Amino acid sequence: MSATSSPAAVSIAIKDIVQEYPAPSGGVTRVVDGISLNFERPGINMLLGPSGCGKSTILHMLGGVRPMGTKTPTSGSILIDGVECHGAHDDSVMVFQRYANRPDLTVFENVAFPFRLKLWREKIAEKEWRQRVAEMLKAVGLADKQQLRPAQLSGGQNQRVALARALVLRPRILLMDEPFGALDAQTREEMQRLLIDLYKAAPCLVVFVTHDVTEALMLGDRVIVLSTQPARIADDFTIDAPRPRSTEWQRSAEAIRFEERILSQLHKSSAGKGAVRVTI
Amino acid sequence: MSEFWNPYLPLAPGRRRALGIGAVVAVLLLWSLLAGSGLVSPVRLPAPWDVLSAFSYLAWHEGESMLFIATLWSVGRLAVAGVLVILIGIPIGITMGAAPKLNAVLSPLIDPFRSAPVVALLPILVMWLGIGEEMKVAFLFIGAVVYLIPMVRDAIQAVPQSYWIGARDLGATPWECITKAVVPMAMPRIADAVIVAFSVMWTYITVAEYVNARVGLGQLIQNARRFSAWDQVFAGIIVIIALALVTYQGMNWAKRRLYPWETQQ
Repeated sequence: MSATSSPAAVSIAIKDIVQEYPAPSGGVTRVVDGISLNFERPGINMLLGPSGCGKSTILHMLGGVRPMGTKTPTSGSILIDGVECHGAHDDSVMVFQRYANRPDLTVFENVAFPFRLKLWREKIAEKEWRQRVAEMLKAVGLADKQQLRPAQLSGGQNQRVALARALVLRPRILLMDEPFGALDAQTREEMQRLLIDLYKAAPCLVVFVTHDVTEALMLGDRVIVLSTQPARIADDFTIDAPRPRSTEWQRSAEAIRFEERILSQLHKSSAGKGAVRVTI
Repeated sequence: MSEFWNPYLPLAPGRRRALGIGAVVAVLLLWSLLAGSGLVSPVRLPAPWDVLSAFSYLAWHEGESMLFIATLWSVGRLAVAGVLVILIGIPIGITMGAAPKLNAVLSPLIDPFRSAPVVALLPILVMWLGIGEEMKVAFLFIGAVVYLIPMVRDAIQAVPQSYWIGARDLGATPWECITKAVVPMAMPRIADAVIVAFSVMWTYITVAEYVNARVGLGQLIQNARRFSAWDQVFAGIIVIIALALVTYQGMNWAKRRLYPWETQQ
């Protein structure tokens, strides 16, 4: 499943996935309840749901990461380019809210971290990855900070490092797990704009988990609204407005209609459990 | 007084040092007073100046320095045991921290020894290894490694899971996740474990040299005690404390130089 001629072309088919975890009281807790989704072309797909609804679980499944060692998914299947995916695979890269930059490495070394691993060292020659890292640092606006260490950077700059580390691998699938959730409003907007620029330069299939309604509206080609635990699809629609979307668009009748639609869906399906955020 | 009970109050280094030196001087004064006034008999408490002259006697007498030779032997035993503790203890601790199943197997065999009377093992070690150097090094090794292994294990387990997940997602093999993401993050705490191990060994050195040591700081104290030369006993103890302090400070300095990022987080 290595990247072929067109690195962006990729499809994901999620078929009726269910995820259950052993509950502390005995028995099982169902976190994800029969979700089916198809992603067929590059685009920014927002998975929007209240905090703790199981959206990160879905993202972990797509990435093939099993932090708890449990079987994921409990039932159902995930196909990437028609091939069922089991465990970790190198078609996707994740960006987390906790950016996990290594404090002992410089910005450059952090972005170059994947090339310390056997998998990428064998695929990409040192000369090429060095050039890629340099280009990526320029693209995220950290070219002049590559010798600094994470402690010398702001939260937003650290998230830029994490984003660069993911994109330097030119993944066909970019999985983002509330990446800007811990940033202040202004930095969050900057990062959203940066993501749009990077996406335009090299479109790929982005699955972006958020509990921020405004973020979903500002970024998404498609917004999938999930109900709270167990996660089910409450709504699924596309937004055609061109990006970057202005604050004027945000106040337009179209955007307000979308916002009301999302909030009423969440209200219906979640009945006050979990929380979403709306930034004005 | 309003700022007295405030754990976050920054204290100027000079002020901190002044307070510390003041405390030591106060104890020396009290000690001099007790010994010099004749309130406590010199048999029970040698005066500071007696300890000082014992120190100079041990340091240089009739063309040789008993103290220097004893120190070399003790430091040598400690260094050999320390290298073994690092080479054997750290890999065991890392693998225990990295593999819960391995931890489940080994922790009941190792953890209880933290509270076991390691000193009571000495006769057994003598029986197994004899009364030579092997026994002394083995005793120091066991005494320190039972502290180090659980600390290294805990250091590994304290690394946030996000580093492991992040490396795994980037395509690292499980072993690469440990060696390239988790262990580097655990290094400052592993260094702490090594520092504790050396402190523990300094406290055990006198016990290790209890049996049949011909030379060493522990033996020096032993010998002096046998002849009731309490001034020499005091001098020996002070030298051990000083060496332990120098080891501790030196290793701490090295740790701060090697892992400056730990405190910046």
